[in-house]
Amino acid sequence: MLGLGLGTILLAGIAAMVQSGSQNLPGRPLARGGSMLFRVLLGVGCTIGALPALRVLLGGATTDLQFGALSPTGPWVFGLDALSAVFLLLIFAVGVASGCYGFTYFASPAVHGEADSAQRSIEAEPSGVAGAHALVALLLVSLALLVVARAVIPFLIAWELMAMTSYFLIVFDVDKPEVRRAGLLYLVTTHAGTLLLFALFAAWGRGAADLSFASLAAVTLHPRMGDAVVLSLALGAFGLKAGLVPLHFWLPEAHAAAPSHVSALMSGVVIKMGIYGLLRVIALLGIVPAWWSWLVLGLGVISGVLGVVWALAQHDIKRLLAFHSVENIGIILVGVGIGGLGLAYHHPRIAMLGFAGALLHTFNHGLFKSLLFLGAGSVIHATGARDIERLGGLSRRMPRTAAAFLLGSVAIVGLPPLNGFVSEWMVYRGVLHIGLVTDISRIASLAGVALALIGGLALACFAKVVGILYLGSPRDPVALSAHESAPGMTWPLLGLAGACAGIGLLPVFVLPPILRAAAVVVGAAASDPSVTSTVAADVDGSAAMAITALALGVTVAMLIGWAVHRIMVGRRPSKTKAVRRRETWACGYSTPTARMQYSASSFAAPILAHFQPVTGIRTHQTTRVFETYAGDPVLDGFVRPLWRAWRDIANRARPMQRARLSTYVLYLVAALLTLLLYLLVDGWTT
Amino acid sequence: MFANLARLAPPSSIVAIAVLLCFAPVMPGIAIKTKSVLAGRKGAPILQLYYDLWKLVRKGTVYSTTTTWVFQAGPVIVLASVVAALLFLPLDGRSAPAHFEGDLVAFAGLLALGRFALVLAGLDTGSSFEGMGASREVTVATFAEPALFLCLLALVLATGELTLSGMLGVPLANAWPRSAASLTLVGLSLFIILLAENSRVPVDDPATHLELTMIHEVIVLDHSGPDLALILYGSALKLTLFGALVVCLFAPRPSLTPAAAIASLLAGLVLVAVIIGIVESVMARLRLTRIPQLLVGAAALATLGIILLLR
Repeated sequence: MLGLGLGTILLAGIAAMVQSGSQNLPGRPLARGGSMLFRVLLGVGCTIGALPALRVLLGGATTDLQFGALSPTGPWVFGLDALSAVFLLLIFAVGVASGCYGFTYFASPAVHGEADSAQRSIEAEPSGVAGAHALVALLLVSLALLVVARAVIPFLIAWELMAMTSYFLIVFDVDKPEVRRAGLLYLVTTHAGTLLLFALFAAWGRGAADLSFASLAAVTLHPRMGDAVVLSLALGAFGLKAGLVPLHFWLPEAHAAAPSHVSALMSGVVIKMGIYGLLRVIALLGIVPAWWSWLVLGLGVISGVLGVVWALAQHDIKRLLAFHSVENIGIILVGVGIGGLGLAYHHPRIAMLGFAGALLHTFNHGLFKSLLFLGAGSVIHATGARDIERLGGLSRRMPRTAAAFLLGSVAIVGLPPLNGFVSEWMVYRGVLHIGLVTDISRIASLAGVALALIGGLALACFAKVVGILYLGSPRDPVALSAHESAPGMTWPLLGLAGACAGIGLLPVFVLPPILRAAAVVVGAAASDPSVTSTVAADVDGSAAMAITALALGVTVAMLIGWAVHRIMVGRRPSKTKAVRRRETWACGYSTPTARMQYSASSFAAPILAHFQPVTGIRTHQTTRVFETYAGDPVLDGFVRPLWRAWRDIANRARPMQRARLSTYVLYLVAALLTLLLYLLVDGWTT
Repeated sequence: MFANLARLAPPSSIVAIAVLLCFAPVMPGIAIKTKSVLAGRKGAPILQLYYDLWKLVRKGTVYSTTTTWVFQAGPVIVLASVVAALLFLPLDGRSAPAHFEGDLVAFAGLLALGRFALVLAGLDTGSSFEGMGASREVTVATFAEPALFLCLLALVLATGELTLSGMLGVPLANAWPRSAASLTLVGLSLFIILLAENSRVPVDDPATHLELTMIHEVIVLDHSGPDLALILYGSALKLTLFGALVVCLFAPRPSLTPAAAIASLLAGLVLVAVIIGIVESVMARLRLTRIPQLLVGAAALATLGIILLLR
């Protein structure tokens, strides 16, 4: 079933290629039938692929598929359990929305200017666009294979396929130097992560019968060191992909450089593969040491707070959203850390709450972050501007995009009654529960302070984004000429917004599958009586019901209030009670202009002033201009100097490379001699 | 499944909410009266806000040509979120109409939802004044939120309960003799948060007359008529909500009859309003850059309370 779905998605990619090939005329968008074919195939493929995932999440039996000795490292095993199914659903949901959006995004004419998708290169090269669609399809297939892989070799193949398709999508706009720079940074970073993965599986698989995950799980590692090596390498490799601080430095660059629907896929799904990897490793090990959980919790707190502070300082809409991904990875890691502490200190109930919160937040963040990136893409498409200081008043010109973006903002800030609140509530519950235990792990409840701070800062940041971007009046002519996007771009937005609202309003249907997935991570401890009672409370008992009732109640209250308000304001029995329209009150000044509005820099300044020391944010103030710039302390202060130092070393080592055959033969002999020496010494000692 | 919840809500808790909904506009009135009396003035009547609300509801509305539906939805969401937050407090001393594990997160979340709506409505006008107020509001809230969480966490640790309704009744009454010191610290911290969240002196001055120096008042500068009535009533209700939280903390009343519990709650609220008035009479406003320090101080008080509990 899943295979059929993936095949259909691949077909969609091929269809896009073939269509563009058959009418190889520069500057003409794809024929109508062709564009429909791609979207229909993509939609059908994602739906078919999602069916088995849904079945498993609703309690169906898990399946394993084994291909015999395809390689000397043992069979290639694929399997679908609840943990994989959550990620699979996310991949297909975001995939179909982004894929369909991308089609219209490239097909309809964008506005001139500094748009992120180079319209220039598209017009010159329609096959490039078709290639991008095919790459998106390939990326979805590789992601799906990654989460169902149950052996090292297919896992690594899918991982590399994902990394490389992402790279080619990031550098789609290859004419721009900053895009090439971001692409290179991404390429180096992702391969550093892959190297760590090689090391991880090499260290782990030494004593295993073969390289399937089941055999890895059966390995008895060295009691202290083995766990430490595996978990440290996993945190490095998967943390690099997830973008936790301080390994996040590539993320804002890459996500800002990619076309918007690719950013949506990357921020929404690809970085989540880091989280998947961590959870899968925990599930295979069955136990995590306390120090590792504390470390993850600490990194989560740091990522969350710094991510949102850095986001607040950004004025480039896509960089801002990318930094918010760092923040949300932080929230997810706080959940993972709490879950790990629950495992380490034998509180299975807390472990369930932590991991379930992390999983649900992963899923939710995938939905609302891709929604926000697509919304940002629509704005860039319509205005050609990425700097929010130049925009304003777009909710009048793009009402549907604005409404969806506003909903996504409420969700990402974690406000009831939307989905972000439900997952943060789960993590908070883990935090509060851990405060009530009697051992040292109760200190972890102070992580909730960080969550509260992150919530406050995120609210400030999205008030800034929505307020400056969509409300008020246009600050620059580019915003005046904005138009609502084509239906092909608004429908994916509205669909994702509907998913966010659905999870937020009816969590009672969402919590049971998520808890099922969390039970996979928690493992054997999930059958503990305290866990089963919590699960019962969350599934059919008070908690899930009450939060559902709360969400519905608040929504109904707001709707009733809105209706009453309409009646109250709308009735006009006499002249004095009429609704009148005037310019905004400016203390008697009657001709306010758009330039008098508050700017994003000014809005964020009072908060940023308090975080100045930790963020390296610089302000630029003259008589006419007040602006803040936010570099990335890790990238500017550490990665770039390291990079330069490495280049110097490489330059010094250059004489080794002489392009003379005799020299290379000498190297070969030297290498062989070294190996022989090693064997000799090895034989001697044993 | 919702019948299940309706059964859980005792009628007295519904009555208590109705009483508070009627009582709320008195709170600012008492604070202003106290201030006037201390300054040797006669002052406005205690019931002034009722007259104002009645007047505003009957008036017409002026909307700025810049604004959209966001501006009109703001006051509605502000009021709805505060009313919803009120459902989590055990106002009759026994239990709240709504309670579930971790509902304190929902309590804070609803208040944040109201703030988000208010701030966006302000930004919708495109005026620098509202922008300034919105920026200050989110700054204050950013620092108030961790402090509020610390207070709630301290209550969780002191009582072992994970619902507001559960912790503010019998468990809190039992916790007072054990941990009076830390609960007092938490109460002080909550009172500072009350002043900050409700834009009172020393954080903001509701009686100021210069737009450049305001926080809350300047965000709602463009609201008029029924919209302004909703905002004013919502603010009064939020003040009452925080007042009720402080009263519930300092005086858990699980043993009183519901009627006596509600009456004592009202007496406590009057006392809180008088204290707010006294604070406003004896203190000046802090500089804007000092406000986060005040809130960090409040957080430090609550942290001290937590440390005393954890020892």
